[in-house]
Amino acid sequence: MHIPDGFLSTPVWATLDAAALPSVVVIARRAQRGFDESRIPLLGVMGAFVFAAQMINFPVGVGTTGHLVGGALLAYLLGPGAASVVMTSILIIQALVFQDGGLLALGANVTNMAIFGVLAGYLPYYLWGGGRWRRVSIFAGGVLSVLTSAALALSELLISGVKMPATVLGISSLLFLVSAILEGAITLAVVQALEGIRPGFVRKPKASPALGVAAILLATVGVLLASTAPDGIWKLAMTTGIAGHARSLFSTPFSGYELSFLQTPWLRKASAGLAGLALIYGACLLIGRAAARNRSV
Amino acid sequence: MQPALLDRWSRQASILHRRDPRAKIAAALVFLVVVATAQPALLPVSAGLFLFLCAGLVVARLPLGGALLRAGIVLPFTLTFAAICWMAGDPWRGVSLILKSYLSALAVLLMVSTTPLPGLLRGFERIGAPRFLLMVSQFLYRYLFVITEQAQHMSKAAACRGGMRFRAAAGALAVLFARSYSQAEDIHRAMLSRGFEGRFHGPEDTRFRAADALFAAAACCAPLLLRLVIERVAA
Repeated sequence: MHIPDGFLSTPVWATLDAAALPSVVVIARRAQRGFDESRIPLLGVMGAFVFAAQMINFPVGVGTTGHLVGGALLAYLLGPGAASVVMTSILIIQALVFQDGGLLALGANVTNMAIFGVLAGYLPYYLWGGGRWRRVSIFAGGVLSVLTSAALALSELLISGVKMPATVLGISSLLFLVSAILEGAITLAVVQALEGIRPGFVRKPKASPALGVAAILLATVGVLLASTAPDGIWKLAMTTGIAGHARSLFSTPFSGYELSFLQTPWLRKASAGLAGLALIYGACLLIGRAAARNRSV
Repeated sequence: MQPALLDRWSRQASILHRRDPRAKIAAALVFLVVVATAQPALLPVSAGLFLFLCAGLVVARLPLGGALLRAGIVLPFTLTFAAICWMAGDPWRGVSLILKSYLSALAVLLMVSTTPLPGLLRGFERIGAPRFLLMVSQFLYRYLFVITEQAQHMSKAAACRGGMRFRAAAGALAVLFARSYSQAEDIHRAMLSRGFEGRFHGPEDTRFRAADALFAAAACCAPLLLRLVIERVAA
């Protein structure tokens, strides 16, 4: 989902532009230092590949199709830094040539998709990609990258004051969830097919302290964003009935005494946001496990 | 494909086409900020800015109708959100979304269709954007059509065989990836053998002339003044 110009309020786009520009410069520097200049054509062609991948439709159900978004897949194949660079240049070309996403909103789109989308996609693979949970983590990465981008875009729109009724928010979240699961399935299927063609293509995750820091940063920003726009998430939880269960679940063990620290508004909001994120994360892992089991049969 | 149209437009000749890319980038950015921050008297202000862009299109000798239609690419997305805002009881914001996103898209279109993309990216680089990123973008644009065509062939072939199942589509993507990967290696080798040394030599860098400075000053001030005057009159 590419945000066009005119949607975000001035503080939002200005902040995100200001944040995205130096991060992109740093990531580009790191990505450039990490390998020789032979990677310039490689990264460019990979960006063209992600564009072209949209031509190949994946049949889902009757009559509907979906296509690859690509952030997580690129992170597994090229490493997260290079994947961020590729996604950023895709967004640049889309904003300039295809009028898909705005130029002032480029910072927002880069933050959503090229930085946090890619990082969120790489995180599960980085944590569990080496072991028994490899397939699950690949699937979860695809799901998480789309979900993170979508959640960030929605919260930016909400912060900018674009009003969305709870029903619309619920429907769009559901659509995002479906496309996220699809992205996870496509990513996993493509990785497996690729390993069949040419083993050793997919990089093993390697430990790097920077990524750990980035992961923590990601979680923090996610929680903060979720807590600044908790109304949407909260309403969503209300409508789906999760909130009721969650409240009884939370309050039962503590029913004897009042949870005074939960009364602080920002803390309550932050914990609601955190709970939402944890919920999404857990759901991704469970679904991923099930999907991986089906696939391996 | 549609972008080919943009390539044709950007290689025509006019006063606007001849200006230095940096001047056009500055003008476009100022215009975008003016649009994004417009609040009071939005309707007359956007009408004025719209006429300003139309004048730019005429000066650039671009087909007016075609360009106005092309900028309408943003409308499906925007109209959806405008409808949502209307449902939420905030129709005014819906109108402002439509006006602002359309004007911004038209402004970017005017910039892109008067500057060939290599020149434009070079302009961004000379303003200070990271070179690595812009080179990757240039490569992406260069090979976009090559690889998209391969993908189109694949999906057409699959359609001839009776459609693609999920697994087959994943296999096709994997093949496309492996093929583009080795293609990238070949491209790099070919570049090295032609003496590639880490940077592109595009069309020779234009000097920033007095005319460019004049254009930049005029094109930056005009939308600003236009907005201020219209807001004052409307108030």
